[in-house]
Formats: sequence, C-alpha cells, structure tokens
Amino acid sequence: MNEKNKQRIRLSYSRRKELYGYGFIGLWLVGTIVFFLIPLGRSLWYSFNKVIIQPGGLAMKWQGLQNYSDALFKDPEFTRDLRDMLIETAWKTPLILIFSLFIAVLLNDKFHGRTLARAIFFLPVIIATGPVFGIISGDLQTSGNSEASQFSTMFSTDLVGELMQFLGIYGISEEMTAYISAVADNVFSIVWSSGIPILLFLAALQNIPLAAKEAAMIEGASGWDFFWKITLPYVSPFVLANLIFTVIDSFTSPTNTAMRRILTLQSRDVNYGLASAMAWIYFGVVLAALGIVVFAVKRIIFYEND
Amino acid sequence: MSRRKSADILWRIFRFVILFGLSFVILYPLIYMISCTFRERSDMNDPTVMWIPRNYTLSVLRETIQAMDLWNTLRTTALLNLGCACFQVISCAVTGYGFARFSFHGKKLLFGIVILMILVPTQVISLPLFFRFRFFGIKGLFTVNLIDNMLTMYLPAMTANGIRSGLMILIFRQFFRGLPKELEDAAYIDGCGPLMTFLRVMIPNAMASFLTVFLFSVVWYWNDYYVSTMFFQNTRTVATMLYNLDSELKLRLFGDATIQISPREQIVWKQAGCLVSIAPLLVMYIFLQKYFTEGIERSGIVG
Repeated sequence: MNEKNKQRIRLSYSRRKELYGYGFIGLWLVGTIVFFLIPLGRSLWYSFNKVIIQPGGLAMKWQGLQNYSDALFKDPEFTRDLRDMLIETAWKTPLILIFSLFIAVLLNDKFHGRTLARAIFFLPVIIATGPVFGIISGDLQTSGNSEASQFSTMFSTDLVGELMQFLGIYGISEEMTAYISAVADNVFSIVWSSGIPILLFLAALQNIPLAAKEAAMIEGASGWDFFWKITLPYVSPFVLANLIFTVIDSFTSPTNTAMRRILTLQSRDVNYGLASAMAWIYFGVVLAALGIVVFAVKRIIFYEND
Repeated sequence: MSRRKSADILWRIFRFVILFGLSFVILYPLIYMISCTFRERSDMNDPTVMWIPRNYTLSVLRETIQAMDLWNTLRTTALLNLGCACFQVISCAVTGYGFARFSFHGKKLLFGIVILMILVPTQVISLPLFFRFRFFGIKGLFTVNLIDNMLTMYLPAMTANGIRSGLMILIFRQFFRGLPKELEDAAYIDGCGPLMTFLRVMIPNAMASFLTVFLFSVVWYWNDYYVSTMFFQNTRTVATMLYNLDSELKLRLFGDATIQISPREQIVWKQAGCLVSIAPLLVMYIFLQKYFTEGIERSGIVG
C-alpha cells in the first residue's frame, strides 16, 4: 500500500483508490487462497482419485468417475440420506418462513412483556448451532450409546403431551392426541430453527415506512388488509434472504444424515476419495436446490425502488 | 366501535396464547436441564418426578464439572473464542469495507468467491484443510505440524476465513454501503487517507454492528464442534467435551470405560453437561440481549 508513496509516482485518483481497494481486501485474498480455494480444488482432485495415506503425505491414484458412481449406485445409504434430506428441507423451509413471519408480526406489536417474549424467541439463535441442541432434540448419538439418545428423543416428543396436560386437554380423544403430537414434534424443530429468520423479518417490519401505515389507516384498512397489501410486499425481499439462509442452514448443519455419512467415511473408514466425491455431489445438490428456489422466488418479490 | 374493541381483545388473547405456548416449547429443554441437574439420579426412575426433584443434590453438577474438566476447558474455549472472534471481526470489517467502497478490477469475481464461501459446506474442504495444517509450510523449505495448535483456528480467523466468515464479510459490506458517502468525502478533504478514514471515521460509526457481529462470532465459535474435532485431539473445547461426555464420565468418574449405567440415569449428567456448557452463553445473552436483537437491524444485514 505504501510503496507508491516511496516511489513517488503520481497515480491518478481512481488508480490510487483501486490500489487501496486491493490493500483492504489483500489479507482476505491471501487467506482465501490458502484456506479456501486451494483446499476446495484439492477436495475436487481427491474425488477423482483413490487416496492412499503414506507416511509424509497422501498418494493419489487416478480413478476418474469411479468414486462418483460408487457414491450414487453402490453405497446403500448415501442416496437415501440425500433424498430424505431434500424432502425434509422442501417441506420444512416454507413452514419455517411462514411461522417466523407470523411470529415476527406478533412480536412487532406493542404489548407488555414484549422484550421478554423477544428474548425468549431469539434464544434458539445462541443454542441451536451447537451440540447442546443435538442432545436436546435427541439427534446426536453421543459415542454410539443409542439407547440413551432414544430416551432424550422420547422426552422431546412428549413435550406436547406435557403442554396438553398443562392446559388440561390431554387424552380427550386418542386420535387428536396422536395428531397434535405429530404436529408438535415438528413444531419443536421449526421453532428452534426460526431464531434468525424471525430476527430478519422483524427488522424488515420495522423498515416499513410510516407513511404507508398512515395511508392504510386513513383508508380504513383492517388488520387483515394491512397484512396482505402493506406488510407482505414490503417484507418480500427478506423472504429471499431468509429462504437462502434457511436452506443453507439446514444443508450445512452437521446433524443432517447425509453430512454424518460423509463424516464417518472420513474418520472411520478413511476413504477420502469417496468422502470427497460425496461431499461434491452433496454440494451440487445444494447449489441446484438454491438455484431453483432463487429462480422461483425472484419473480414474486416487490422492490420499492424499482 | 365496540365490535372493533372486542376483536382487539380477542386478538390479544390469541397473541398471548400463541406466544405463551411457543415460549414453553423453547424454554422446556432449559427448565428440564435445570431440573435434571439438581436431582439425584435415582429420581430418573421415579415416575412421579417430572419437574420437581424429590432429592436435591449438587453432586451431579460437581461430577459433571469434574468429568468435563470444566475450568481448564472453559479457559481453553474462552481463549480460542475471544481471540478468534476479535480477529474475525476486524479482518471481516476491513474486507467488507474494501468491497463496499472501492472499485477495482475483478471485484465481481472476488465477491463471487465470498458468496461461494457462504455456500460451500465446511465439510467439503475440511479434509484438505486438515492436511494443510498437518504439514503446514512451504513444500521443500519447511513444514510444521499445526494440529492441536490454536493457530489452526487463529490463522483463518485472522485472514477473514474463519467460521461463517463469508456471511460476516457480507454483513459488513452491506453495512458500510449504507453509510453516507459524505462522511468519507469530508474526511478526504480534511486530508485523511483511506486507511485513516476507515480507522477514524468508519469504525466509530460502526461500533454497534461491530458488537453484534462479535457476539455472533463468539456464539458460533463456542458452538462449533465440527472444526474443533477435526483439528484438535488433546485441546478440548466445551463443545467437544460435551460431545464425548459419555465416555469421559465413565472414565473419569468410575475409572472404568465399560461400566454399565442405565441410560435413563445418564440423562442427569447429560443435561447437567448441557447446562454448564451453555451457561456462559446464557449469561452473556441476558446482559447483552439488546445487541443481539436490535443490533442486527442496524448492522446492515437488512437490505
């Protein structure tokens, strides 16, 4: 950054700014080449090879697409895990979005105890990315003790039973109880993955200009009209941001089954080539899913400035 | 008018029920954790004990702290966490500013890499990264083994490549783009170079969003166990300790890795482990709650 001063070369203002720009991102650029781009390229390279561990490093044996076809056609679990994960993301993401928008609207009202309510609803933000959440939701099998995790799962499904008992409606009818339990088991995971989406939607709601609210009030709009004609259009750009966030979050979470499969391949079976191939297939699926979602949603977004 | 009023009251009741019920869903695990931590393990087999323990005890808590080697673990984690979070905030802010306010050749391409950083799951690059740190250095000149060294976390954080760095660069870029250009123009006219402008004008304006990003960074590093298990074998963080709590418990508490404890009774230690590992975060959250919930609006993730 300073060498041009030393050399006393007169540079044009824009050229100088350009150099400063490189200066500001320089550190990141070096880091990203060393810690991101090269590893990324390497893992792609592994995926086409049979990786053999030797003292002092790794040796490669070119295999072409062998690893990919093994992952897709030979591995009994991988494609199934992948499909399950896709299905789950597909139905959960819209639910998370609708739910978090709904909660954001509620939390945007003025009422007593709002600060407390907000604090509670954002609590998952600090817990849901860690291993604690794995134990809470009974997802994580700690050291292969499956029985223990079964018990913690049991306690998370029974949560609704608790609530129903609490409200005094437990056991009114068998079917109803079973149905509510099924819904509620998912409520748990939806509520717990909605922390950041709620945060973003709330920020969006607070950005709705006062003028729009006043105009709606003068025109005599009901709360219902207001939601559909004012709130929703203003919030729509955030739907995209939230959508991307939610999809990435669910795909990169280490608790999902496909990811776990890749991990065991790496650590237990030490089959790096196959693990890398799976990771790349996985990444391709994620990208394709995101592409479809972004393409579909982009058309219905309303931008105020356009 | 009265119809409106009754609708209003109905809405309030509805809102209360919904928020109360869902708060229950969120708080339930926490209450359960606390309840389990302070009960004796025999209470787990007593069907009448749901929330309120019959026999109070502190021994479960004590045993868990012992099994997790909590004080040492906490010190390691805090050192890692705060260090990484500081480095990360600074490096991401600088990078974000570079992307927000300067135009240079290849900017679009480079910013595409930032987006790629957000999209690529860590799992894709973790293996090559492991070998990078295992044989760190320049080929033929020197190599050192950095596994189990805190530098494996510090170095990426310093160069804006740590956990979720892409997202943070994006947040800072959006934030700096939202600040008025006049601020910088004034500084330039007064004779500040871009670096001085950044330090003296932009950073003071960005304090609130710095804090928000810092807090999120702390949380994400605290909760990470994937990267830590990859790079650390003997350096234990709270998250990896919790992950291995089962075997640690058996080993340290009973001196026997094969001992059989009823899984139902193990829950007390598990829950206690959960409680002690999120307690520091919870305390931080209680005191700095408003920076989590309000900071993000100002931090520029919006729009």
